[in-house]
Parts: sequence; structure tokens; C-alpha cells
Amino acid sequence: MGRFIIRRVLWLILVLFVVLLITFILMHLVPGGPWDREKALAPKVIEALNKRYGLDLPLWRQFVNYAWGVLHGDLGISYSYSDRTVVSILAHGIPKTATLGILAFVVAQAIGIPFGVAAALKQNSAVDYASVLFSTVFASIPGFVLGILLIVLFAVVLHWLPTSGWGSIQQLIMPVFCLAALPAAQSARITRASTLDVMRQDYVRTARSKGILESTVRVRHIFRNSLIPVVTVAGPELANLITGSFIIENLFAIPGVGRLFVQGIFARDYTLIMGGVLFYAITIALLNLVVDILYAAIDPRIRYE
Amino acid sequence: MKRKTFILSILSILVIVSLIFTSACSTSSTSGANSSTAANSTPQVITLNLAGENNTIDPNRASWTSERTIIIQCFDGLLTFNSDLTLAPMVAKEIPTVANKDISADGKTYTIKLKNNVTWSDGTKVTAKDFVFSFKRLFSPDLASEYESFYSDVVGGDAYFSATGKTDAEKQALQDAIGVRAVDDYTLEIKLTDSLPTFTQLLALWPVFPVRQDMVAKYGDKWAQPDANGAMPNYIGNGPFILKEWVQQDHYTLVRNEKYWGTKPKLTQITFKELTDANLALAAYKAGELDQSGVPGGTEQTTMNDATLSPQILRFPTLTTYAFQFNVTKPPFDNKLLRQALACAIDRSAYINQVRHGVGKVALSWIPPGMPGFDATLGTDWSFNPTKAKQLLAQAGYPDGKGLPELKFQIANTGANPTIAAFLQGQLKDNLGINLTVELMESKAYSALYNAKQFTWGFTGWGADYPDPDDWLPQLYMTGAGNNKTGYSNPAFDAISKQALAELDNTKRLQLWAQAQAMVVADQPMIYVFNRETFVLQKPWVKGMVTSGLDGNVAGDTFLRNVYIQK
Repeated sequence: MGRFIIRRVLWLILVLFVVLLITFILMHLVPGGPWDREKALAPKVIEALNKRYGLDLPLWRQFVNYAWGVLHGDLGISYSYSDRTVVSILAHGIPKTATLGILAFVVAQAIGIPFGVAAALKQNSAVDYASVLFSTVFASIPGFVLGILLIVLFAVVLHWLPTSGWGSIQQLIMPVFCLAALPAAQSARITRASTLDVMRQDYVRTARSKGILESTVRVRHIFRNSLIPVVTVAGPELANLITGSFIIENLFAIPGVGRLFVQGIFARDYTLIMGGVLFYAITIALLNLVVDILYAAIDPRIRYE
Repeated sequence: MKRKTFILSILSILVIVSLIFTSACSTSSTSGANSSTAANSTPQVITLNLAGENNTIDPNRASWTSERTIIIQCFDGLLTFNSDLTLAPMVAKEIPTVANKDISADGKTYTIKLKNNVTWSDGTKVTAKDFVFSFKRLFSPDLASEYESFYSDVVGGDAYFSATGKTDAEKQALQDAIGVRAVDDYTLEIKLTDSLPTFTQLLALWPVFPVRQDMVAKYGDKWAQPDANGAMPNYIGNGPFILKEWVQQDHYTLVRNEKYWGTKPKLTQITFKELTDANLALAAYKAGELDQSGVPGGTEQTTMNDATLSPQILRFPTLTTYAFQFNVTKPPFDNKLLRQALACAIDRSAYINQVRHGVGKVALSWIPPGMPGFDATLGTDWSFNPTKAKQLLAQAGYPDGKGLPELKFQIANTGANPTIAAFLQGQLKDNLGINLTVELMESKAYSALYNAKQFTWGFTGWGADYPDPDDWLPQLYMTGAGNNKTGYSNPAFDAISKQALAELDNTKRLQLWAQAQAMVVADQPMIYVFNRETFVLQKPWVKGMVTSGLDGNVAGDTFLRNVYIQK
């Protein structure tokens, strides 16, 4: 197991390098640069700006300088946010984005898994129909529509919650719920399907025929086995929640990285884009690693040598 | 059993981690969205929406209106604008003119006397040296200020700005040679290479507001940045408000400068939030978290029909003109008659109703109403007239559009732009029976195409940096000028512009610009379409609001010092 993890981490470093190189090349292939805007800057101003940010150097030198900086923990300075270092921008935003993503993930699983299991155990009952209705509705409403509906209801009409912002528990409720809605719905569906599937397996029938307590059958034989597909999607789902909260961050004015990263792309803020890509790549790679480890923990058939 | 606990522990770690994050974040908590107090005496506080994160609030570096919004609350320049957009002295004792000898007879030397009672927010005096420092810093090649080009006429400024590759000693020599000096503590002398009467207007703009040398010396370019907690201890200004905190991507808090040298403002606190989503801003306004908000694009008419909201509408014209501009260097748009035909084929009133939902005014010429140079009679020859459009099209050599090559129109794919393109397509089809190919582009890609003058026909807007034809005509229509994207070149226009730029007699100067604008409008390198209007909602308890055509995204930001709250 230890050697497996070390090997994966070493691969990760290579993957990150390639990701950065590809991002760098793509960024410079896309038409338009950081100083292109409709109200043109004077050529002498553009020249001075390029000099200030090292954009006057040949591209290969820019990439070498950048990669060298990354190795020393320096991700460069942003062009569109007044020379703040990308490290400080990410340090400012990641805790918020991560909190939002992790909370949404926990909420999604806390709603989705019990709902799915209950629906499967009592197939075609009221609980099952409620589960199907829940997952259909929340899987089809886009996050921003749900967000606006919640804001209008809870902030404008009822005055129970603040519309937006960051800093208090109340301000977290709506964005977390908006982010959690879709994965909760998906999780409920997958759990229901996989539980139904496991319930019909021979080993469950065998367990029952041996006279094992129904509760033990449910927990040990059904629930645990039905979790494998749930864990499979949970990793990418968590990565998706952490990296994909741009719309919700923007809607609820949450100062996370998602909002900055997307604005960075529109502004051709090269260093900020690279920093964001690096963060997302590391997040996704690490979460995939965690999922692989969890497989081994849940499914006795899986072993890493 | 072991594995079950493993999963459980992973889950509990997730929960704990998220709780730590939340509690860590609540310590750096904002003043809170629901802090609208229920005090009986009306607190003089206002909450506005800046709708986005600023790049910089360093006066020498700033270039966007939302940056200006913060800077003008915290700094006072030599001169300022009145609400009617005439000039008024601020730190300067009087407006420099040739008559009062503050401007030399050749128009090249400005000698400006300063008031001796102006103080920084820490109580020290503002002197001519602070302005000298600011000017010299503006021209620093290492600072790369975007507005440097506005001040190119200052002696030695450009030479220093272009010294990017030179040694420190050479840079120092060039900096010393800049024609700005302090004659004494309260007299500032500025030398220009050419006579430029509108230089007085440039003295009212933020890039040359005074800057504290000691703060820049100590903290470098980060003097205008918040510390880790969002506090702004080094951002010392001489204006009516002090920026207390800037929680990045979240909000700004400004408090009244209790040591302000002039008339103290009535407001004790201004909060600028950074809500980028228009729907959210409106919800926050309705929930009482904002005192002013825009409305989402397309809902203007609904807002006007809403019994509760319509009395809260605040609308006024801004100094902005939008136009469909041609690349006149390439066929078929090098044909003036074709351009005129197209101009006559566009129903601007329909544009305002259909695309702008009734907000905005029809424009037939370039300089907008409300500032010197506007001429209501100009451009009426090319107003909407389908019959004339058809005649002109025939005269242009394309009767009923026969023989006309494919017309292409490029536009950035943002906001209402696709609607604008569809509108234009419809107008040409309905009124002239000709087809238009629309090319929607990502906005930076469009800007790059446009700046490289590779476009054929595009959409553009221009907002006033300062209210004078100097900012509107030479920059866009002189041969080879920086913002001349149309490729328009008219020797007669160039000659008259050069004369107007240097003319010290104001009446004569404006007459020259009137002639110049008439020449451009007759040539229609752009089809002038509409002047923008600001359309926001404002709570009834906000009093004393004075709006002006120079206001940025926050309505009334230019004169917030007059605002008070009365509930």
C-alpha cells in the first residue's frame, strides 16, 4: 500500500508538469492577451507593462522561469489583481472554496445515501416515490436557478437569511444547499440502484437462509457492498464540488477561488490561470488517490501490491 | 470491523476539517450582511455595490471607473469638477488661466498656487512636493501606469516612461528632468511641450492626485494594498473619507475623515459590496442590504411598471456614446455612400425600445449631450429614413443590394451583444433587404482582432475620461491615433484638430471642434446609435444625491460627500 501511494505521488508530479506545460501553450495560443481591450492602451504603456511582468521575454524563458518559481513555491504575481501574488490569492480563496465544497459533499451524502437505501429497502413505497421525485427535481434544476429561488424566498420574502456573502453560518446555508442538491440527488439514485442490485445477490439470500439477523444482513451484506459504486462517484463528485463552484460563488458573492479563476481566464491573467489549474489538478489527483485507497478498504477483493 | 471504522474516521475528518474552515473564516468575518441597525437616530451609513473586484486603488496606476469610485472618496486633486462638469479649484487656490497668469502666454507653463490648509488624514500638510512626487511616479517606467499617455505633454514625461531598459542612474537623470517642480511649499510649476488648454481638466483626474512619498518609500507599490486582515493603514489620503478596510473580493469600508480640511461629509460610513451577479444585487436591495442597486438587463421595463419600485428609480444620462464602427480602409466599407445608406437604415428608437428596454437616448453624432461639443442638429441627415437609405444604396453602386459582397459584423459575445447583432441583422433585412453575417467572438479575441484593425464592422462605445472634445475627437479620428480603429484619415480633420488642441481661446477652440466633428459625422466612419443612461434603484431615505455624467458604475459616486440619510 505504501509503495502504491509513493508511486502515485511521483506520477502526480509528472502529470502536474505536463498539465502546466499544456495550459501554458494553450493560453498563449488563444487570441488576445492581458492588455487587449477595446479602449486601446498606448503602445508604450503595453511595452512597459510587458516589461513589468516579464512578458517581454521569449515564451520558453517565461515557462522556464515560471516552472522554476513553482518549484520554489512561487506562483508569480497576478496582472489583473494589482500585483497580489497568486499564492496569496489562492491562500485567501481556497479555504472558502474548500469549506463550501466539503460541506456540500457531506450534506449531499448525508441526504442522498440514507434516502437511497430507504427507497431500495422499501421499493415501490411512499419513501421510494419521494426519493425518485427528490432526485428527479434536484438533478434537473440548475444551481443558479435554485439559488435565485432560495434567495428570493429566504432573504427577500421571509428575511430569515442574508442574501449572500461570507463569514457566518447563516451565509453558508443557501450556497451549501445549492451545491449539494445535484450530488445529493445523484447519490440517492446510485445508492438506490446499487442497493436493489445487491439485495438480489446470491450471498444475500445465503446469509438470510443461514438465519442471520435481518439487521445484520442489511448492514454487513447489503449496505457495505452497495457503497462501492457510491464511493466510485464520490471522489470525482467531491473534486467537482471543490473545483466547480464558480457559478454558486458568483451568485452568492463568495470570495473563493472559482470566481477568481474564471475571471482570470477572461482577463488572460496568465499566472492566475496557471495557479488555478495547478490547484484543480492537485485536488482532482489527490481525491482520485483517496478513492482508490477507499476501494481497498471497502472491497476485500481489491488489493494494491 | 476495522474497515468500517476507517470509513467512519475519514468521514469524521471531513466534518472536522470543514468545521475548522468555517470557524477560521468567521473570525475574519465581515461586518455582516444583516447589520442594518434598528437605532432610532438615523445612522449616517450607506451601503452601495461596486459590482466587482478592483485591480488597484493606487491613484497613479488606476484606470477603471470602479477604481476611481474608491479613489475619489479618499483623495482630493488640484482641481475638481462641479456637477455641471465645469471645473472648480480643490487643493489649488484657483483655476489656472492665461488671464490670471497661472498659465503663461504661450500656454506651456502652469504655475499653480496651493491652499495652505490642506492636510492628509494623519494631520500633516499637503504641499507642492506631494504633487511633484505623484507626477514623477506617474511617469515611472517600472510602474507602467495605464493613464500615463494622457499626460504625455509634460516635459520629460515620455522620455522617462520609455526608459524601461536603461540603468538606474540613467532613469534617475530622466526623472529629474521632468518639468514638474515645487517652487515653494505651496507653489507647483508644470512645464508642457505644447500648449494644451485642456490640461486643466487633466489636473482634476485621479492619476495626478497627491501621493505620500514616505508610504511609497516604505511599502513600495504595495502601499495601496490591504494587510492580511484587510486593514489599509498605509493608504493615507487627503479626501473626505478614509478607507478603513478592503476585504478582497468582498467589500470596502470607508469612514469619515474626522480631520478633513474641507467641509466634512455627512455620511460617517460608506460600505461598497462586491456583488457581481445582477439578480443577487437586486435581491440584496429588496432585502434591505443595499441602498442602491442596478437591475438585471432586460428588466428595466418591468421595473418601471412595478408600483413599489418605480418611485425608487434613479436615471440620468452618462457621457457615453455607442456606435457601429466600420473599418473604412477595406471594401466594401471604404464606400462612404454605402456607410451613409446603412446609417439611414437603422431605426435607433426601435433599438432603444427593443434592445435597451427603453433606457437610453438616440444618438446621431459622436459627442454626447451634457458636455461641451454636443450638437443636436448634427447627423440628422443620416437619421432613420428607409427611402433615403435605398436611394443611397443605389448611388453607392448597389441598387436593391445587387452586387453587394457579403457584409460581416463582429461583436464580443457578452451581455446584450448577441441581441444587438440580431437587431442590426433585422434592420438591414427589413429596411434594405440585405443580409448580414454576424460573427460572435470571445471578448478578448474580439479586442485583439479589433486592435489589430482586422475587423470589418463592429460595435464600440466610448465614455468620457473628462468632459471635453479633446477626449472624444483626436484620439479616435486623427490619422493613426491610438484609438482610431476605423482607419479614418482626413487631412482637413487632422489640421483643424491640431489647431483646436492648442487653441487657448475657449470659444474659438470649441468652434474648431464643432467643425471637426461635423466633418467626421458627414463621413460616417461609425453609425452613431445611442447614448447610455444610468438606470438604478435607490432607497427613498438616501438624500442629497447629486448625479453627474462622469459617474461610474455607482450612481452618484462623484459627489457622495453631499449625501445623507433621512428615515
